Amino acid sequence: MAGVILDDLTKRYDGGALAVDKLNLDIHDGEFVCLVGPSGCGKTTALRMIAGLEEITSGEVRIGDRVVNNLPPRDRDIAMVFQSYALYPHMSVRDNMAFGLQLRKTPKADIDKAVVEAARILDLERFLDRKPGQLSGGQRQRVALGRAIVREPAVFLMDEPLSNLDAKLRVQTRAEIARMHTRLEATMIYVTHDQVEAMTMGDRIAVINEGVLQQAGTPKELYELPKNRFVAGFIGSPSMNFIDLKVSQDGGVVRLSGEGAEVRPDDTQSALLRDLGQDTVTVGFRPEHLELGALTGPGLSVTVVVDVVEFLGNDELIHGSSAGRDVVAIINADNTLKVGESVTLTTSPRRLHVFNPATGLRITDNGAAAPGVAYRVTTG
Amino acid sequence: MAVAVSTSDSDPVAPEGEILPTTSKPAGGGGFRSHLGSLLFLLPGAVWLLIIVVYPFIATVVRSLYDGSGQNFVGLSNYKAIFSTTDIIVSLKNNVVWVVLFPFLVTFFGLVFAVLTERIRWSTAFKTIVFMPLVFSATAAGLTWASIFFIDPHTGMVNAAIQGVSNAVNPPGLYPVDPTSGQTVSSLAATGVQPGPGGTLESKTTVSAGGTVEMGLIAISPVTLQQNGATTATVPAAASGAITGLVWRDFSPTHPGVRGQVLPDEDGIPGVHLSLVDLTGSSVATTTTASDGTFKFANAGSGDFRVQITANNFQAGFNGIFFLGTQSLTPTSTASPTLQAILSLPIVDIAMIIAYLWIWAGFAMVVIGAGLAALNREVLEAAQIDGASEWQTLRRVTVPMLQPVLVVVFVTMLINVLKIFDIILNMAAPSSQAGAATLAVDIYNEFLSPTGAGLAAALAVVLFILVVPAMLFNLKRIRG
Amino acid sequence: MTVQAVPLPVAAPPPNRRFRVRPSRIVLNIVLAAIAIFWLVPSIGIAIISLRPNGTFEQSGWWTVLTAPAQLTFSNYQHLLSAGFNAGGVLDSLTTSLAITIPVTILVTVISSLTAYSLVFGRWRGRTTVFLLIVALLVLPLQMALIPVASLYKVVDNATGLHFFGSVIGTIIFHVAFGLPFGIFLMRNFYSGIPHDLLEAGRIDGAGEWTLFRKVVMPIGIPALASLAIFQFIWVWNDLLVALIFLGSSTHITLTMYLYGQTRALANNYYIISTGAVISIIIPLIVFFAFQRYFVRGVLAGAVK
Repeated sequence: MAGVILDDLTKRYDGGALAVDKLNLDIHDGEFVCLVGPSGCGKTTALRMIAGLEEITSGEVRIGDRVVNNLPPRDRDIAMVFQSYALYPHMSVRDNMAFGLQLRKTPKADIDKAVVEAARILDLERFLDRKPGQLSGGQRQRVALGRAIVREPAVFLMDEPLSNLDAKLRVQTRAEIARMHTRLEATMIYVTHDQVEAMTMGDRIAVINEGVLQQAGTPKELYELPKNRFVAGFIGSPSMNFIDLKVSQDGGVVRLSGEGAEVRPDDTQSALLRDLGQDTVTVGFRPEHLELGALTGPGLSVTVVVDVVEFLGNDELIHGSSAGRDVVAIINADNTLKVGESVTLTTSPRRLHVFNPATGLRITDNGAAAPGVAYRVTTG
Repeated sequence: MAVAVSTSDSDPVAPEGEILPTTSKPAGGGGFRSHLGSLLFLLPGAVWLLIIVVYPFIATVVRSLYDGSGQNFVGLSNYKAIFSTTDIIVSLKNNVVWVVLFPFLVTFFGLVFAVLTERIRWSTAFKTIVFMPLVFSATAAGLTWASIFFIDPHTGMVNAAIQGVSNAVNPPGLYPVDPTSGQTVSSLAATGVQPGPGGTLESKTTVSAGGTVEMGLIAISPVTLQQNGATTATVPAAASGAITGLVWRDFSPTHPGVRGQVLPDEDGIPGVHLSLVDLTGSSVATTTTASDGTFKFANAGSGDFRVQITANNFQAGFNGIFFLGTQSLTPTSTASPTLQAILSLPIVDIAMIIAYLWIWAGFAMVVIGAGLAALNREVLEAAQIDGASEWQTLRRVTVPMLQPVLVVVFVTMLINVLKIFDIILNMAAPSSQAGAATLAVDIYNEFLSPTGAGLAAALAVVLFILVVPAMLFNLKRIRG
Repeated sequence: MTVQAVPLPVAAPPPNRRFRVRPSRIVLNIVLAAIAIFWLVPSIGIAIISLRPNGTFEQSGWWTVLTAPAQLTFSNYQHLLSAGFNAGGVLDSLTTSLAITIPVTILVTVISSLTAYSLVFGRWRGRTTVFLLIVALLVLPLQMALIPVASLYKVVDNATGLHFFGSVIGTIIFHVAFGLPFGIFLMRNFYSGIPHDLLEAGRIDGAGEWTLFRKVVMPIGIPALASLAIFQFIWVWNDLLVALIFLGSSTHITLTMYLYGQTRALANNYYIISTGAVISIIIPLIVFFAFQRYFVRGVLAGAVK
């Protein structure tokens, strides 16, 4: 087992297109880290650079304490699970799992032991002599996992392994992978575009957009303290609402206001906003944090006209608009709202995220960050 | 902690293969009208095939049971004749040679080219070049390659190349003795010379300083002498301290029977390399004869010597290999005719196979290349990660995954080669036509002969039977 | 864990990887270049032989031209073309080849399309069986049909006074028959990819089968038609056996027969053979280069013929 350090990892294609831009990430030994982001954001490219399937334009990849930039994949002590499973179609399940060890001239007895053990863990024992073509999608996926386990690599790399499975299998296999991680105590780097997967599986998550790392942290950190507007909008489903509001100071009292919405910041927020010198800010708030009723103290208040009401059982999902902007709220289903109704929704200051409209960076709590600074996750 | 695993093994994978129509009863409107319409469309093709393919097929089978005139039923005697006539057995043998060598070689080269071209930038240009000969008729290709394999080293490229190498390694002498025509060096000795070691001729008597030696040869072509600038032979004068002599053509047109004398109308032999050899056999001096055949070893030293005409004078040049002939590459010259028919491997078969490979390797390359491009890249990457080197990936993953494509190419070429015809007619030398013929050639020849129709039909049926396994293979493959 | 904003350390630039072309790649390029040259040599050779004066072929190899390029001449072409369209000449043979190849190509493409349509979109039982029969016919050697068809032609000729045996018509009929299995196979596979819904919509609108074929299926099938046409064209153009059988005694012969006939006449008239060979290659070569993509596709589909 080993940790992985990405140091200013960059990938530039021949045409000049930048796929990965100075990615810095410090993955600890035994950690499960998810690389997540929209399609085309560079997460798979980054993973393939770690694996050695893609040339590194600049920067370093360190596995353990070795710089692996110039090492071919087979010398990096990694195993990879592909989205399409990539099983050897002409070999049996047993041979698929044994192939890597055979190439390394491992004694046959050891190979058999490892294969049988992996098959037992993944409940593949009765398929050992079948070919991949005779298996279902979920079974093939498990073979792909088995092939990786058997190698006992320092790092597991997974490229959207659940994308080709149907919803039910996906949920089940997600749990299996999580259990596998606990059992093996292995370092795992997992790429996905599904933020729910990332949030449920990762010890830490790295959100990437257009090749640039947006934020890396625990799921809780990303949920509660998103560093910028992109992360705030990407994490959480349904996604965060955003409203642009004007900053006004009335004799020392800071207010944020706009059509149909108003924010009374608390003392800490007021202090930051006063020193800011911005006249507009973007305020973000999650649908699940909204409540019906008028504002009684500091916090956000927004008036919403109800467009669509979706009944979820315990809750209702309200799609509405406030002065032309879309607002989504989740409130208790006991409040039976009707289409066309105008309601006031509020949330407390603690649940507010304020962003600089120009840079997208978070303003409150951490203060304005200086430009040109990379976010490096350090131990602490 | 055990990991519980889902047991809902649903959705078995759909098997790959050709698509057979899944809807046997299409829905929608139509009715009788559209039934009729689509059946009518079938008519032209069906009628054409029935008349020109299906009926003749049956007719040929029937015809094969009759004799040449078509009047008398002879049962299986045509077939018996096939397997007992040496000439036809030779054809069958050639079919076997083609079938054993060609499909494997063409698939092999196709695979090699397909794999290698993946790694170069100009792969399209390369593929076009190698693929282009498919556009040639086998007739034109056969004629082209016949010229390449011509026996005359002046014209035929292959023999020219061999001659170039051969002349560099073993330069031909001015007076070559061609062993294939029965000539030997010793048959050239006429007067004063005897065969020496290693294909040389030596003076019969020994000679010492101040002495003279006259060496007469026969069976030297006057044309060659003229080309080498020969003049009338002169009797050599003695010189003290030196050994002199004459090498001349001991044949006078006016006195053809006289030997041993230097007659006035006999020519010297110029340009002959000579070696002065002492009694132990080692050479102490060399020289070359002048245009009148005389020579001189100055400062001969003491002791007795022999004058040796060295072997390189008689070195035969390379005269070309008869690639388009039926010389067997396997040693069968001592076997019985039937055994020869079966076991000999005519060299022209190899030449024709090379020509045919030139035509068809491009086909194999393109088909296998398409299969290669269709492979799932990620499987090859998985092999890389598993630790396979490029060669190991090729051998243990890529090629096994290509197996279906390789088999299709192999079988297609097998069928192609069973019917091989054009290239034999146009490439094998006229004298080799019988020895290089295959079943298809025999069928054609029997067709032309007025009494061969029955035999031709039987041969066609045999050809068909040979093709049947491939037919069944295709059916199996397409049924999925 | 804290997230710290850390100013970027100025990292040393990565080591320059200049020579990424490994020696094995250079060797590979050289080897493949040698193979490509080897492949071109026969074609270049025969072309040059055709451009050398009569009589030079026996004396020296065509490669000597490289040192004496001045000898190249079109005299052989002039010689052959000066015979004009007289029967047995190269021009007459070329037109005979065209007269056979073009009709065969048209007939095979049209009939194959119709038959394939019926096999894919028809509403009658037994389509699969018929298709499998066609697949079986794919590899049937045409030798199986030569004798009976020749006899049939002769019988019909004697009875009706028509001229099938020894004529272009008879040759065309035979070629079409043996081009159909492959053509039907190719078109049927292509048509299978067309969704039935397209036709059902048309049927509901009231279109008849012929309209559907003409307006819907055939236009979609043009790429496959092109592949078939080109493949068929070159196949028939280059045929020798069928031509020999059915035109063997005819005054008008195909180009392949013309070439074959040369070897029988004189041993060393390569100045004619080479020129005739080049002439016979020109049209297929043009077709090939103009429609390379389609030809390759036809070949790929024809990995059964």
